[in-house]
Amino acid sequence: MIKEVHKIVRQSGERRIIIANSATSITKENKNDVVVDGSHCGKNVGEMTFEAGVRGMIGNDAGKGLDDSCIAGLKVLDEHGIPAAAVSNMSAMIGDGTSTYEEGEISAVNEAAKKLGITVGMSAKDAADKMFEAA
Amino acid sequence: MEEPLLGEKKVVKQSGEARLIIVDTTSDVREDNDTDVIVTGSHGGKVGGDYLSKLNVKGVISNDAGIGKNNAGIASLKILEEHGIPSATVSSMSSYIGNGTSTYEQGKISTVNEIASKLGIVVGMSAKEAADKMFEALIQETK
Repeated sequence: MIKEVHKIVRQSGERRIIIANSATSITKENKNDVVVDGSHCGKNVGEMTFEAGVRGMIGNDAGKGLDDSCIAGLKVLDEHGIPAAAVSNMSAMIGDGTSTYEEGEISAVNEAAKKLGITVGMSAKDAADKMFEAA
Repeated sequence: MEEPLLGEKKVVKQSGEARLIIVDTTSDVREDNDTDVIVTGSHGGKVGGDYLSKLNVKGVISNDAGIGKNNAGIASLKILEEHGIPSATVSSMSSYIGNGTSTYEQGKISTVNEIASKLGIVVGMSAKEAADKMFEALIQETK
């Protein structure tokens, strides 16, 4: 498996914003976290981050792809009321969570994220802050 | 630390120790896949290239994730090439990312590294045909 030490960029009590290069490194230890990762936002990523119990997720839109499959995970999380968004693959380097967080521009949002005021064009950092404050 | 939540591996071809394997995510690949060609639903970025080259797999086909900023979606091809591993990506518009079976069944090759190119793998080829070429080359090598 791809092991990695997550970066914690904000913390308040048990709530955190953490950065991961790969969504597959997210476990149930991240159940109170807003996760910003370098992965695509496909269906399987939505499922694994939901299983982990995250409070919010921001990943890479991977160019959206066939039938928007690269952002299908946003819908999976939306069904469980979890805010999720993707950054444009032209704004951040896929596979690099720090790039998602530092450089990412939001290109797609789910309904739960929209309710928090997260919009297309916003920086990933601002979007993560909004998820963190609502978590 | 808890185990990450992962899917399964499908073996689509086998000859001796050599296998052609499908995974939805590259993180499902393990040390015992060092005799295998891997078809994955993951993007072809650096993180997967570093991981798979360390495991010394024998071929990789991944998703180009729209290629993206600084060609980050296909950065693994060069890394794998430096380790002598043939690799190619399929277009994100040809198959579903995160779904290895879709990569294998529907994928159209969008980029190839030098080693894959030497095996006759070209842009526009089906992922299946490209995987077959990697697998055949592996069998020849291990004979």
